[in-house]
Amino acid sequence: MVTSARARWDPVQPWLGLAVRLGLAAVWFWAGSTKVGDLAAAGRAVNAYQIFSFDVARVIGAAQPFVEIALGVLLLLGLATRLAAGVSAVLLVLFIAGIASAWARGLAIDCGCFSEGGPLAVGQTPSYLPEILRDIGFLIMAAFLLRWPRSPLSIDRWMAGGQRLEDEDE
Amino acid sequence: MSSPRGPGRQGGPGRRPDKAQQGPQKAQGPQKAQKGQKAAQKKSSARVVREQLARERRRRRTLWTSLIAVAVLVIAGLIGWSVFASQPSTSDFTAPANATADGNAIVVGNGPVTIDIYEDFICPFCGQFEKSTGSMLDQMVSENKVKLQFHPVAYLDRASSTNYSTRSSAASGCAANEGKYREYAEALFNRQPAEGSAGLSDDELISIGTSVGLDGGTFGSCVRDGTFKPWTAHVTEAGSRANINSTPTVLVNGKGVNPNADAINAAVAAATK
Repeated sequence: MVTSARARWDPVQPWLGLAVRLGLAAVWFWAGSTKVGDLAAAGRAVNAYQIFSFDVARVIGAAQPFVEIALGVLLLLGLATRLAAGVSAVLLVLFIAGIASAWARGLAIDCGCFSEGGPLAVGQTPSYLPEILRDIGFLIMAAFLLRWPRSPLSIDRWMAGGQRLEDEDE
Repeated sequence: MSSPRGPGRQGGPGRRPDKAQQGPQKAQGPQKAQKGQKAAQKKSSARVVREQLARERRRRRTLWTSLIAVAVLVIAGLIGWSVFASQPSTSDFTAPANATADGNAIVVGNGPVTIDIYEDFICPFCGQFEKSTGSMLDQMVSENKVKLQFHPVAYLDRASSTNYSTRSSAASGCAANEGKYREYAEALFNRQPAEGSAGLSDDELISIGTSVGLDGGTFGSCVRDGTFKPWTAHVTEAGSRANINSTPTVLVNGKGVNPNADAINAAVAAATK
């Protein structure tokens, strides 16, 4: 039973890994590119959480879109996939915590995940639960790559010399 | 991190030939078997060394790729920070006439109760707010009940393809400089472009100005030169710093009030008592 499950899993895992890796890369590109055009707005989005002081929030808001795009590049290339997945997971946990805390404090803001964010206009209701569930979905993708970082078409594999060392422990 | 299926497949293609060789060797004479065993031992110790070297290489490779990846992430963050830090300082501005002393807002009226209004000319709710409460606010000013302080913040530059928020706010500064902020703001909201559009062109901003009695020459060159764009940046940053993150935001004597006529009326009445 176990071996047959493994026999089915082994050929699937690398391609699933590729799909997850490219999917997470797309998520980060999307997140970063919607914010990178207006860094002041990104700073306001961070400030809207009212966790950091305005000046700290501005620095975070300015740096974050670039880090998100860089993570997207690392995942797209498959360079240090496990590390990129780990950083992704840490960021996602922080985002989820931030949204949850905004929710708990009764703030009415857009999470600013894929937009400039900030507080909502009068009459708009926040959608914290879908935002958190979405981030948990991304977190699961990151966790998959943490557990199975190897996938085809990656610099990691190319440097390992193709398939040869594929299944050895790290 | 070790993979549980490592040993299973690790031995696969590499080891099986050895085992296959050992089988028939045992059937041969004892001497030959010993020789075979020694050879196998040698082979396996060579393999252990090889594997150790491979592990060492792998570890080094992981270390370097990790270092490169971390460097990429750190550099990306620093780029973001330096791009932001290199943006022109917002303390370098000239406020239009009729602005507050700190330059944060345009003052209309001179009543005892102060109402601060943060608005963005492309924000749909600001347009609705103007339509529903604009005339009431103007009346309060003419009855000398209130002093209005308008903060035309440019929060929604990304909502148009031409930074309409900044351009319209700077144009409203030009109008304020000629003492016609209210008239101009009202006219702008009447022709408010949709979010996601290109917004109104500079020419349209100018013709709206002349339609409320502004001089096409002075006002026109002020809009075209973007004279008050640095001021707009200042107003926007001051609003952000004051934790004003959504538009419209209304403060009556510094206290947040729902942006509707009833709430403002009640707050002004309470403050007048």
